[in-house]
Amino acid sequence: MTTHGLSRRILLAGAGLGAAGGLAACMNTSGGGGSGDEGGDGDGSGEIVFQNSIQDPAPKAAIEALVADYDQPVTMNSVATEQYRAQLTNYLRASDPPDVYSWYAGSVARAYASQGLLLDVSSMWEGDGACAGFPDALRTLSTADDGTQIFVPTSYYWWSVFFRKSAFEEWGVTPPETWDDFLALCETLQGQGIIPLANGVGATPWMSSGWFDYLNLRINGAEYHRQLLAGEHAFNSAEVKAVMEEYAKLIPFMDPDMMSYSNQEAATPFAQKKTAMYLVGAFITTHVPSDVVDDLDFFSVPVINPDVPTAEEAPTDGYFAAAGSDDPEASLAFLSYLAAPEQQQRYIEEAGSSNLPTSPDVDSSGFSELTKKGMDLLATTEEITQFFNRDSSDALQTTADAALVRFLSEPEEVDAILDEWQAAAEQVWDS
Amino acid sequence: MTSAAAPARSLSASSGATKGVRPPAPSRRGWGARLARVPLVVWVMLAVPLAVEAFWVFWPAINSFSLATLRWDGITPAESVGLQNFVDLWNDPIFRTAAWNNVLWLLFFGVLSIAGGLALAVALNKPGRGVGIYRAAIYLPMVISLAVTGLFWRVMYQPDGPINSALELIGLGFLQRQWLAEPDVALGAILVAAVWRQVGYVMVLYLAGLKGCDASLEEAAAVDGANAWQRFWKIVMPQLSGVHTVVIAVTVIDSLRAFDIVWTMTRGGPYNSTQLLSTYMFQQAFTVGNLGYASAIAVIIFLLAIGFIITYLIRQARTEDPA
Amino acid sequence: MTTAVEAPAAAPVARRRRRGGRSPWLHVVMIPLTALWLSPIVFVLFISVRSFDDIAARGLAALPTSIDLEGYVSALSGGGLLRALGVSTLVTGTAVIASLLLSSWAAFALSRYPIPGRRGVLLAMLAGNLLPPQILLVPVVRISESLGLQDTLLALILVQVGFGIGFYTFVLHGFLRGLPEELFEAARLDGAGALRIYLTIVLPLSRPSLAALAALATTWIFNDLIWALTILRTETSFPISAALLNLMGGFGSSWNVIAAASLIAAIIPAAVFFMFQKQFVSGLLVGSSK
Repeated sequence: MTTHGLSRRILLAGAGLGAAGGLAACMNTSGGGGSGDEGGDGDGSGEIVFQNSIQDPAPKAAIEALVADYDQPVTMNSVATEQYRAQLTNYLRASDPPDVYSWYAGSVARAYASQGLLLDVSSMWEGDGACAGFPDALRTLSTADDGTQIFVPTSYYWWSVFFRKSAFEEWGVTPPETWDDFLALCETLQGQGIIPLANGVGATPWMSSGWFDYLNLRINGAEYHRQLLAGEHAFNSAEVKAVMEEYAKLIPFMDPDMMSYSNQEAATPFAQKKTAMYLVGAFITTHVPSDVVDDLDFFSVPVINPDVPTAEEAPTDGYFAAAGSDDPEASLAFLSYLAAPEQQQRYIEEAGSSNLPTSPDVDSSGFSELTKKGMDLLATTEEITQFFNRDSSDALQTTADAALVRFLSEPEEVDAILDEWQAAAEQVWDS
Repeated sequence: MTSAAAPARSLSASSGATKGVRPPAPSRRGWGARLARVPLVVWVMLAVPLAVEAFWVFWPAINSFSLATLRWDGITPAESVGLQNFVDLWNDPIFRTAAWNNVLWLLFFGVLSIAGGLALAVALNKPGRGVGIYRAAIYLPMVISLAVTGLFWRVMYQPDGPINSALELIGLGFLQRQWLAEPDVALGAILVAAVWRQVGYVMVLYLAGLKGCDASLEEAAAVDGANAWQRFWKIVMPQLSGVHTVVIAVTVIDSLRAFDIVWTMTRGGPYNSTQLLSTYMFQQAFTVGNLGYASAIAVIIFLLAIGFIITYLIRQARTEDPA
Repeated sequence: MTTAVEAPAAAPVARRRRRGGRSPWLHVVMIPLTALWLSPIVFVLFISVRSFDDIAARGLAALPTSIDLEGYVSALSGGGLLRALGVSTLVTGTAVIASLLLSSWAAFALSRYPIPGRRGVLLAMLAGNLLPPQILLVPVVRISESLGLQDTLLALILVQVGFGIGFYTFVLHGFLRGLPEELFEAARLDGAGALRIYLTIVLPLSRPSLAALAALATTWIFNDLIWALTILRTETSFPISAALLNLMGGFGSSWNVIAAASLIAAIIPAAVFFMFQKQFVSGLLVGSSK
């Protein structure tokens, strides 16, 4: 009985495993395209796995085209941004991690680098490496705490106040020169029954940091802004209160529906000329109908305090690679390919996302007027910041979201809000 | 009970002669004897599923709960902080909001979907013209994932969306709101969407239960002069006790799992007013990168769920077999 | 979609019996309620047949003026969505069958044999189902890695099975416990072993319960997002929920594409439900009455 029972048990276990094995085999073949399975015994066959969060149709098609033309096989996996953010650590820590990743420069990349999770790409920044000719600001941005480069920036974009040229003509107004002009323009537009400022802080509360960043840059300057985000100043300081005072002046001009919109949804009333001006990133071009894109123009947020240097926000996107990559050489080669001027140029032209190239060697003559104007803006500004979360952390961004969105609906509570913000931010800085 | 129960009944009637043979009464003595009565194959049948669950659920859970005593961002080395995470939670205003919202959610989601589902099941129990269409329509939302449901309703709640347009149309324009943007109505607005999806499922469960109810009992009570209301509470409800257990279990599970729908509709905003424990945990774990703190929240969620379900089950077990 | 909605109507109508003169109030209440209930879905259907430019120009709430299948074309282009639908069907089918099979084993053992501490075991299994999945993500990734199963559908199926088993066992246990002991006694007197009792009594009798659970499990597993994204990282093996999310990210303002894709994704669970509906509603599910 015992032996019989035992053997049956073993048999059952064996059957279970067998079934599992059969199942696994079946899964792998049905996983599709033969590229489905790079798990298990990764043998470093040189096939690059390229994990990314690029989903907008045109940029995705553009990057797919680049990957398809690469002379080595590349498996490209696109994951929705929010989930991508959540999974990134898992990917990098995996025993057989994907090789190359799209992400943004700044604190997150540095944190990964400090744990030895990122591949050292310094060789690309030296000699005739693909990034050697990039501007110094980008080099600094891509450098980890230990002085090695771990990031490959390939594009960036600018933030500005966008408007429709034809709409401004209809309404008989022109872009403002000074901050007072700007406020007067808002007043005029409102008088004509037009909502002066578009915004979308509902599903994308971080949009509320756009104006905060810019007002802080214009009033206290980029230096102060960086220090504030690093915890060297307090959010309930007199300087920040001055920012909020200016911010409060804008609230009556903002779309009353902004709390319900995401940044993409806010582009609809803007395209319909129901709202006039939109402080947003250049990605706005992918969120409006195609015929509106050519009608877009922008102006920089006017100077408020002439004593601080001019500054613009220019978030930088790019790639890094896993330290645990099967084949670091192949990863570096692929990164070099993506960073090369030809690929940057092709990506920008095909993606239609008004991104700017990081390589000075890109021929920009074929770019749209809007993109050229964006390049000029960033070339002439004295200071460049990225964006609230990229200059600090996603953790600090959540504190900003709560504080600023509440401020937008209860501006009279500003003092209490700033105190709470400071308390929440201290927790982030302490941890 | 229909097809399945019918043979069972006839069988039990025919085997009335063996009345002395009752189910093996669990006795406190003679473990060995009891164990011997369980064939090996039965042990295997229990062990395999248990092993799968233990390996894929209990083991990770233990791993994860142990994180609750750490301060860890998932990247840099962890640091043990004892129960500090729980102390911090207690003092965290967002956690309190989230916990309170979760209680509200559990109550309203539970009461509305169970009451709505039960009412619809009773109304649609008897076949009739159009009943099939009604049932299908009420159930249909269930096949749509929570994330997509959230998306649908985000469109419905747009400032210029159908709900506000409809209110305008029927002269209730003053009720127009920015449903997802105002802290005092946002949670309710999400709740409506979640209930919309859940009612159909609860209805189907109760429809199944009502089929199993003995119609003759109700008819007898009707003869005795009990009105419909009395018949429902005294005759039908007690017969549904088994369904209640499942419905309540499903509801508690679904309300503590409520994540996708809130995440797609508001992400816990505006300024954390619609934060639930699950969304706050996700935000802490993956946006902010406080894995230890997030694990502490998970422990609380787990205890809440266990609290609700176990209390209910124990109460029920007591009423069922007083032994 | 429409055929699916109307199909089940036929059955109950055909079985109509006894006093046909029922209160018209049912219809007075139910017709508007049904309309209200379906309105979000109908509304999404409307959006799915509008063009992007039309939505951008006239807003979301406007009614379609013409039928434009651009949304469906974009959603299906590249075949990503269809492949994801195939993956989802495979994962859901396998996981549902495996978890119901295993749960029926456990429920049978726990309900019919004097296993010590069986109530505790049952509650523990149910408790496992109450864990918030988000918190298991990190350890589950590590475990599937240590087995060399990272990024495989097998790991996804195993997690789904492990995570669902507790609840299904709990429900099936409730049902099996309600079956009369005499039934089993008779079989035992006939010399049937546990396995034969399971095959000849338990499985056939619990078919309606299993059908009901299958419909529930299908909606749960088919719509799961969080496990899929945790375990899988190769886009070609993403299930429909993850593919939809990618679409939402990519076509954030292209509501027509999202609407079309959402409707396509809902077809399979809808079909499963309407296939099982008869058994589901006629099935007794739990041991509802004693």
